Amino acid sequence: MSKWLSYLLIIASLSATAQAVAHAVVTDYSLKIRAIHARKPDQVELSFNSKIELGLSQIFLVRKGDKLELLTASMGKKQGQIIVHIPALTVGEYALKFKVFAADGHLTEDVIHFSVLP
Amino acid sequence: MAGIADFLDSLIGGLDLICFCLAIGGLFWGLLVLRPWQHQAGYNAVLLQKTILLIYKGAFWLAAAQFFKIILKVWLMTAILDRWPFPEFASTTQFIGGIIRTLLTLGLAIYCQRVLAVNSCSKSHWLTAAAVAVPMLVSGAWLVHAAGRFENTYTLMALTVFHQLAAAAWIGGVFQLVNLWLLRQSQQVETTLWPFLLSRFSHFGMVSVVMILVTGLPIALQYIDSWNGLIGTGYGNLLMVKIILMSLALGFAGLNRRAVLAYQASGTYYPMHHRVPYYIEAETFVLVTLLFTAASLASQPPAIDIPSLTATWQEVLNTFAPQIPQITSPSHTALIAGEAGRVAIIGQVPSLAATEWSNYNHNIAGIFLTTMSFFAMLSYIRQLPAPFAFLNPAIPYARYWPLGFVGLGIFLFFRSDAETWPLGPIGFWESTFNNGEVLQHRIATLLVFVLGLFELSARLTKKADSKLPFVFPFLAAFGGLMLLTHSHVGFQAKSAFLIQVGHTTMGVFSLILACGRWLELKLDKPGKEYAGFISVAALFQIGIILMFYREPLY
Repeated sequence: MSKWLSYLLIIASLSATAQAVAHAVVTDYSLKIRAIHARKPDQVELSFNSKIELGLSQIFLVRKGDKLELLTASMGKKQGQIIVHIPALTVGEYALKFKVFAADGHLTEDVIHFSVLP
Repeated sequence: MAGIADFLDSLIGGLDLICFCLAIGGLFWGLLVLRPWQHQAGYNAVLLQKTILLIYKGAFWLAAAQFFKIILKVWLMTAILDRWPFPEFASTTQFIGGIIRTLLTLGLAIYCQRVLAVNSCSKSHWLTAAAVAVPMLVSGAWLVHAAGRFENTYTLMALTVFHQLAAAAWIGGVFQLVNLWLLRQSQQVETTLWPFLLSRFSHFGMVSVVMILVTGLPIALQYIDSWNGLIGTGYGNLLMVKIILMSLALGFAGLNRRAVLAYQASGTYYPMHHRVPYYIEAETFVLVTLLFTAASLASQPPAIDIPSLTATWQEVLNTFAPQIPQITSPSHTALIAGEAGRVAIIGQVPSLAATEWSNYNHNIAGIFLTTMSFFAMLSYIRQLPAPFAFLNPAIPYARYWPLGFVGLGIFLFFRSDAETWPLGPIGFWESTFNNGEVLQHRIATLLVFVLGLFELSARLTKKADSKLPFVFPFLAAFGGLMLLTHSHVGFQAKSAFLIQVGHTTMGVFSLILACGRWLELKLDKPGKEYAGFISVAALFQIGIILMFYREPLY
């Protein structure tokens, strides 16, 4: 291979990207239509656009002060659906921070904000 | 170290595609263009061995890239999930498919090196090599974007594999043409082979391009369901960049085709040897960039999945709207004060200081570049028109315009990531290796600085055979790649896209700058002059985009 072509390839390779890989995205979630109420454990359904490897995914509850708590989750009945189990919470602002591994090999991190109502 | 893993993970996709094109495109070249079993006059052992060596190297490094992808995934998951990903990872399609593809690709590499290389004129051995490649191609289908989809999964997987095959046939063929030209230059093959194989590839290349379109269009229609999706999402934007790059490459291919037709019609030999090789070199710049863009595209969510995060065409146009550049910066104290609120998850407070800090950086960089492009244009002029004749003695100093890159590099070093060293509290190593975006900024800063030093030396050197002038196009193409694949973490998807659209446009202009300068150095008149003008105009355009840059409040 030509020397200059080698240089081009090396340079190209050095230009590596720091993508926030985000191929798997949440296309729908139950919080849009059903709020969570205080002092009662609940569930949130997250629907992704891609198959998700649940064993390699993590979903956290974020409380005031950005304190993280790992939540348990299970696969839903529909394809790409995950059921997140939410503990009993007090009224206030919270978020779900998730790190999911999609079947196509991409790792995605994202956040969904929500309020807990009285 | 998550930053490095993230950085390398994105890099490996582009490298994978380059190796894929070398291996699979090389097989197409051997089977359909070279056809060694026909014992064409001029074929010799050097040509055949070099051709097979490229295929072998492509396959070997493809296997290595595939295996490294798996290692990177493990590394990345360990860093992000904060735990060892096994045994769960061992049962995923990515792991199983990746290991199978690695082994099958290695098998192809070994076959090419051990068997095909010693039977290089045998049609049956070439066909066997293609047959050995088939399982590897099929296994790759489970590793593409479509594998994770719910609808039309197998159709999309098949279309993607055929799309990759068609692209490999074209791009791998161009790599082989470069190889042939180098053999011709070093007089290792007969002169007549160059026009002969160029002519054969010309037809083959056209069929490949048609196949790229035939397979790519249904994929695009499946992933993008509206004009807004094409214009207003990261996926659509990168697809448009791919289309632009492909058009550029086809432009060069068209020039080559014209030269081939002229040669066939009238025996005009000059363009075949003094222009076509350089068009092919420039085309290679474009195609390598295209492959990295394609790899980047695979990490974007399809437009059809994010209708609520899609920008309107008015919002996209607005990012390029002329505005007065911001030439005052908020204080570093104000910026740092707003950082805690900006990065908070609960109770996030957008930071005006952060937005203005970034606007200032981009706008000042734009002023640097437009000023430099003005002096670069001036450096081509011998005499100014009469009313400005008094400035003529200053013209020789215009050739120092690359010094602007050195100044820009120093400016970026201090301003790029204000929360990190040297201005901010986060240390140099910690920020560089834990944050892919900071790592990219550090590389870009070094690139700009080095670019200035090399180009200045190149413009001042008196050596006629100096190689220094060729550094600039390489580094400019590198800069273009960084812009095309640059990401902005911490933004909402729509905001990130509105930033991305400006950066990708600048990436395309950087590539034009690189190709223009390359051709200016290689071609004769008048092509040389046109190329030089286009190159400087591209630099000017990048400066203009930066001068009008406005970041969304976040």
